[in-house]
Amino acid sequence: MGLLDGKVAFVTAAGGNIAGATARLFAEEGAAVACADVAEEDVRKTAADIEAAGGRAIAMVCDVTDEDAVKECIARTVAELGPLTTLFNAAAHSEQRFKVADMPVDMWRRTIDVDLTGMFIVCKYAIPEILKAGGGSIVNISSTYGKIAAAERPAYCSAKGGVRMLTKSIAVDYAADNIRCNSILPGPIEGPRMLQRNPSIEAVVARHGQRLHFKRLGQSIEIARTALFLASDESSYTNGADMAVDAGYTAF
Amino acid sequence: MKRLEGKIAFVTAAGGAIAGATARLFGAEGAAVACVDIARENVEQTAADIVEAGGRAIPLVCDVTDEDSVKEAVAKTVAEFGGLTTVFNAAAYRDPAAPALEIDVATWRKTLDVNVTGMFIVIQQAIPHMQKAGGGSIVNISSIYGARVAKRRPAYSASKAAVRLLTQSIAVDYAEDNIRCNAILPGPIATSRLLITNNSFEAVAERHRPHLPAGRLGQPEEIARTALFLASDASSFTTGADHFVDGGYNAM
Repeated sequence: MGLLDGKVAFVTAAGGNIAGATARLFAEEGAAVACADVAEEDVRKTAADIEAAGGRAIAMVCDVTDEDAVKECIARTVAELGPLTTLFNAAAHSEQRFKVADMPVDMWRRTIDVDLTGMFIVCKYAIPEILKAGGGSIVNISSTYGKIAAAERPAYCSAKGGVRMLTKSIAVDYAADNIRCNSILPGPIEGPRMLQRNPSIEAVVARHGQRLHFKRLGQSIEIARTALFLASDESSYTNGADMAVDAGYTAF
Repeated sequence: MKRLEGKIAFVTAAGGAIAGATARLFGAEGAAVACVDIARENVEQTAADIVEAGGRAIPLVCDVTDEDSVKEAVAKTVAEFGGLTTVFNAAAYRDPAAPALEIDVATWRKTLDVNVTGMFIVIQQAIPHMQKAGGGSIVNISSIYGARVAKRRPAYSASKAAVRLLTQSIAVDYAEDNIRCNAILPGPIATSRLLITNNSFEAVAERHRPHLPAGRLGQPEEIARTALFLASDASSFTTGADHFVDGGYNAM
């Protein structure tokens, strides 16, 4: 018996590293998964992997900043997979490094739009469907940098801080409807995107220095397992909480 | 596959509601459980329940504030089960409610001694065995009142805040030994202890209602399932973190 038997999940950024691992784990645990991403090829791969492993999944191209696109994707999810119970919001944009005075306003807007407004839009259209299903669980990806600041990442830090409070706001407003909403604050997680900015994984570990207490980066499956806990009934009294999955980064 | 197969757990306050539920769940998930409490009768019942359900458990009478008593209990655990990998620290003293001026210093000391120093002693005795085992997980029970104060509970609130930072300190210092340490901050949980100072669970829920989005008290099993997540390898990148299991109390 899977921890998510009978659930229907909508997973954004499912073509990516963390949400891809989460979509696969949710499916392994019995959920039918709508895999959404702006990158068509990547998201098709995730859905195909799930089906090849014997799970149920559909792939959809979706820009979370586009209200109409999100509306349509949620409707398609319900039509094809059944009542929506579970949401995993991971779509995020990683902007270039700037201090505030040097950051172009367009760049600020883009980051806030994808990382925060996109999440709002997905929640806005998913919640009515989750209400129809009698309740469910929303898991939002914030970041270590939603709690403590990274150097020269004002938009990302602000957006991820916003994610934590959006999460709590939804938790408070929809608790009576049996909807839980929690956020995960991942520390540095190993992924291909990292190598666009850094010469090697070892260099990233070294840059984080003594704050990275396990002396290794996290793996996407470690975030996925936390998401599984929050998505499942195992966490039935956990609502509006921030879960740091960061090897002690924010403890230090 | 059981989630704590091969683990050996030391559970304090195992005669109580929360740690009792946790000990039973740990036992059901394959751990051998040393059930530790100052009250013999209750802890014998918990251990008997585990054995009856097909698990492995021993009851141990132990005062966590007594270094020799803890040393002996840990030694008995290791002798009986062959090691120690997992600690669940829940022993706490419920101090009488009163503002600071009305609390005698002995009551303050007793509260800090059980709630924080007792936890320190258990951890101090357990860690060498966890190091020998190649690592492990420690789960400490703090409280929502370790983050947001309760009225007329200065000693309890201070002690539970100290638990959070003790937890983070252990996490940072022993990460290199592959030992993880996390805190759970339960909200109001329906335990018989609550009925010492309240007429009914409904009365407690009613009193909390404006600040408790869940609109109900938590159940001991809901804390136990969170403890299971933190004790198991599912939370392998999580250390030094606070886990609110509070029905949304701290979100608003």
